[in-house]
Amino acid sequence: MQLLWIRGVLARRFLRVAGAAAGVALATALLVTMTLFLLNASASMTARAVSAVPIDWQVQVIPGADAGAIGKALAQTSKVKAVHHAQYADIAGFQARTGGTTQTTGPGQVVAFDNNYASDFPAEIRPLSGSSRGVLIAQQTAANLHVGPGDTVAIDRIGLPPIDVRIAGVVDLPDADSLFQAVGLPPQAAPQAPPDNVLILPQAQWESLFDAQRKARPDTTRLQLHVRLAHNALPADPVAAFTFVTGMEKNFEAKIAGQALVADNLGSRLGAVREDALYASVLFLFLGLPGVALAVALTFAVTSSGAARRRIEQALLRVRGATTRQILSLSATEAAVAAIGGTVLGTGAALLFGLAVPGLGVTAAINGPALVIVILAGLLLGFVAFLLPVWWELRRSDPSAARRSVERDKTPLWRRLWLDLLLLGAAALFFWLSASTGYQIVLAPEGVAATSVDYKAFIAPALFWLGAALLTMRLSANVIASNGSLLRTIVAPAAGPLTTIVAAALSRQTRRLTIGIAMTALAISFATSTSIFNTTYNAQARVDAQLTNGSDVTVFGTSDNPAGARLATLASLSGTAFAEPMQHRFAYVGADLQDLYGIDPTRIGRATSLSDAYFSGGGASTILAGLAATPNGVLVSEETVQDFQLQPGDTINLRLLDARDHQYHAVPFKFIGVAREFPTAPKDSFLVANAAYVARMTGTDAAEYVLMRAKIDPALLAQQARAALGTDPSLKVADIGQAAHLIGSSLTAVDLGGLTTIELSFSVVMAAAAAGLMLALGFIERRRSFGILNAIGAKPGQLTAFLWGEGILVIAGGFIFGLLSGVVTAWMLVKLLAGVFDPPPEALSIPWAYLGIMLCLVAVSVVAAVLFSRPSISHDPEYLRDF
Amino acid sequence: MDETLVVANGIGRDFPDGNAGRITVLRDVDCAISSGARIALVGPSGSGKSTLLHILGGLDRPTSGRIEWPSLGSFEELRPRQIGFVFQSPSLFPALTAGQNVGLPMILAGERDAADRTSALLLDAFGLAELADKLPEELSGGQAQRIAMARALAIGPKLILADEPTGQLDSTTAQFFFDTVLNRLENTGIALVVATHDDAIAARMATRWTMDHGWLRSGPYRSKAT
Ligand SMILES: Nc1ncnc2c1ncn2[C@@H]1O[C@H](COP(=O)(O)OP(=O)(O)O)[C@@H](O)[C@H]1O
Ligand SMILES: [Mg+2]
Repeated sequence: MQLLWIRGVLARRFLRVAGAAAGVALATALLVTMTLFLLNASASMTARAVSAVPIDWQVQVIPGADAGAIGKALAQTSKVKAVHHAQYADIAGFQARTGGTTQTTGPGQVVAFDNNYASDFPAEIRPLSGSSRGVLIAQQTAANLHVGPGDTVAIDRIGLPPIDVRIAGVVDLPDADSLFQAVGLPPQAAPQAPPDNVLILPQAQWESLFDAQRKARPDTTRLQLHVRLAHNALPADPVAAFTFVTGMEKNFEAKIAGQALVADNLGSRLGAVREDALYASVLFLFLGLPGVALAVALTFAVTSSGAARRRIEQALLRVRGATTRQILSLSATEAAVAAIGGTVLGTGAALLFGLAVPGLGVTAAINGPALVIVILAGLLLGFVAFLLPVWWELRRSDPSAARRSVERDKTPLWRRLWLDLLLLGAAALFFWLSASTGYQIVLAPEGVAATSVDYKAFIAPALFWLGAALLTMRLSANVIASNGSLLRTIVAPAAGPLTTIVAAALSRQTRRLTIGIAMTALAISFATSTSIFNTTYNAQARVDAQLTNGSDVTVFGTSDNPAGARLATLASLSGTAFAEPMQHRFAYVGADLQDLYGIDPTRIGRATSLSDAYFSGGGASTILAGLAATPNGVLVSEETVQDFQLQPGDTINLRLLDARDHQYHAVPFKFIGVAREFPTAPKDSFLVANAAYVARMTGTDAAEYVLMRAKIDPALLAQQARAALGTDPSLKVADIGQAAHLIGSSLTAVDLGGLTTIELSFSVVMAAAAAGLMLALGFIERRRSFGILNAIGAKPGQLTAFLWGEGILVIAGGFIFGLLSGVVTAWMLVKLLAGVFDPPPEALSIPWAYLGIMLCLVAVSVVAAVLFSRPSISHDPEYLRDF
Repeated sequence: MDETLVVANGIGRDFPDGNAGRITVLRDVDCAISSGARIALVGPSGSGKSTLLHILGGLDRPTSGRIEWPSLGSFEELRPRQIGFVFQSPSLFPALTAGQNVGLPMILAGERDAADRTSALLLDAFGLAELADKLPEELSGGQAQRIAMARALAIGPKLILADEPTGQLDSTTAQFFFDTVLNRLENTGIALVVATHDDAIAARMATRWTMDHGWLRSGPYRSKAT
């Protein structure tokens, strides 16, 4: 009997079992791919963070301690790959005489690295001109002293007579912040600016020049051991990697018993990335779980939509003497087919999908326990979704009641309790609570091992989602059940002369249609909110990367070799949409040396994005218009306003380097506004002024940088630019892709690309499936009434009008409620996940094309469902019989 | 003026039995229906009465033999214009009022304008005028079946096929139902075929067809005693 039943089930209820299996497959596939994404995202975050740290540990030997013993302790520490020595000496200043004038700098440092240092720490010194051996001078220092390779510089040692050295090469120190950090300061201390004046000596020369200073003034020299760890031994998860590295560092500190101070650069970078890792899992929950919930709901909707039919079958079975247990075990067979089939299908599809989308790291994750758990969850879902409705029915129905297949219109409890409005109200309340705490969802304080995620923030969107779904059901139920003019207006285009009858017939299927509409609306809402969030995120990530990199592609030059000189070449590249020169100079504000950006305020916006958040006291356009209207105007940072007590309109004298006499001269500027951030500008203080004014006052219109907006992939434009500029080491081409990799403190570094692909594909599939499946599943419920209609003379075309009526209802309700709640959800997500964005987006970015395609696919799926369920010409009198 | 409405020659019908075999429900059935006929189709449950009615009404097709409707036009035009159906189980549309239900075939036939008037006339004729605005769930079984009969008559068909229309009614109500129907059909030329278990009702029809395991024995009414 069991075998016969399976055959019968498969034959007659194929659609329902297949539908349930599809729901299980969707849920499993989504879970699997999301898990792959999460595992892969954290691994790549760790890898990226690690690769961005040039020196893992800087171990500073305290004066008088035994450096040899510390070196030995390091050598004994497992996972230490390389240790190198770096010597530092403070000096009083440098002097150089060129072209009849003498330039003097303020205090600086002279450093030396041991042999082979560069092989383990290649990122510390970048040769710009001259030799890379011998005495090297930092580019900024060379500019200050007007020296180059072959010139002589005098070092003012502390407490010793000056001594001359001959410059062999000019170098850039890209990692100066870390290289010259004050080791041993508490992590909360304000970061120290690296010295402006730096000279690098070969180790032996350093020893001979500074041995005396070291003996006389041990506080002015330092020895550091620079340590490289075995990166491939780190755990993949940033949080685990952080714990691992800091643990190692604590352990080492304990061993050396205070003989040295340790700057754990790797640990602090991983610490900063922890926040990103947590945000990645938050995103996973926010963006992925609704999809999974939707797939689960869809499965339940499918399995419980067969209620009428199943009641009849069960009644028949009972009449034949089947027990509750037997009926349950029969249904279990169905459940097994759906659960196992669905899970296998879903996992297989997800893995195939993962292989197709590079960067999901399928192969790495396949052995993981996470995958097993996800697969078990899929199986469980399949069984529960099938057996729960059967169980409910068995408990409450008796055979005679089961014969009545007309649905009883009992108002559900949630409607009587106004649960939908309560949920929406509660969502608003929780959202307001999150808003009032400034949307601090993820906390990973620097220097503290503990991290926290404010899971309460999930409550608002979850409640909103539920509330919106229920409200959708209430409103559509009202419209459909009332069988009023609104319902008739909606179905009229589909039903034509049969409108009254179709509307009346639909009003008797309120429950099924309402669930169909709600499912479709939820799926559309999911697709809408996800795609809007992703688009906004990507747009913002681009803005963020542009802020760091300057623009899509930026060419960084120097005063001696300004990129602006090659503007015509750069502007004529085929991938360039717009190229704009920007001056990058230095100016003294009092004693403080700041970066000065000279721009054309009317044109800069064409080459890069200027967000309103970069300025205070007005939007970007207002502030830039103000600057354009004030030739000698200047924008300064908040700090400078505080320090100098500036009022708008105040004159502020900046000392700029004049190209004619190589001296700094005071130039009057008018303070007109505050800039918080600016493309390529450092996080602390900087200045923005009109390029034309700066050019006139300094005697040179050289524009050190060129910002370019790309028509094509920025990486390709960067290649074009590099090819066009030739191998000129002082011109550096960078694209936003590289910048995004370097930004460690914001989630922009996490590649949402994989997640986006997953989400968008799934939400389209789900939206289409929800609409189509719910219609197609009404097939069996409709067969009897279609049988009667057919018997009293309805033509197939007229029967189809009933289906079109349903279709149009599902489309209308699904579109309206889905789009509305989707936009609101996206807005909530963007607000709640404000921490992900830096700066926060000014408006939601709407992916019109995607939304258009998605809605089209939903419509197509409805049409397909109608065509599929269309009554055939061959008649079906079976359903005219009594059961 | 007796027209032949339906002629069936050697029709058979079998169904798949769910086990790769087939079960035969109708075997070599010959029959004909002329206008004005009053036919009772009797036989035990499962003998094939409903199947035969469905085939006579064009709802189902025989697997063998020939069936023709010489004076009813093409197959596509049979319903709703020429043949009306009444079923044993409630077949009124729950969302439509009694009046709307009666007018339904006319709307389906594209005669929307005449639907309301015809429906009112018919309800009147069946003495059901006061039920016009009631929903099916507010009707008794007998009332619902009379409405279903009115619906079958709405468009003026030449043949009414009723499949155990009184099967769920008590015998008094059933008798009353037939009084009304036969009264209504008198002198209209409309033929009536009724499948029934009820001897008392079968006795009121001029002709009795008996189904037995798919065989049809037809003939004028003979009392059981003979
Ligand atoms: N669509 C069908 N598929 C399989 N068997 C059918 C189908 N329709 C009818 N039958 C079978 O044909 C036989 C005759 O049924 P029916 O014509 O309804 O008899 P009656 O109306 O005399 O009770 C029954 O045994 C029934 O199970
Ligand atoms: Mg029957």
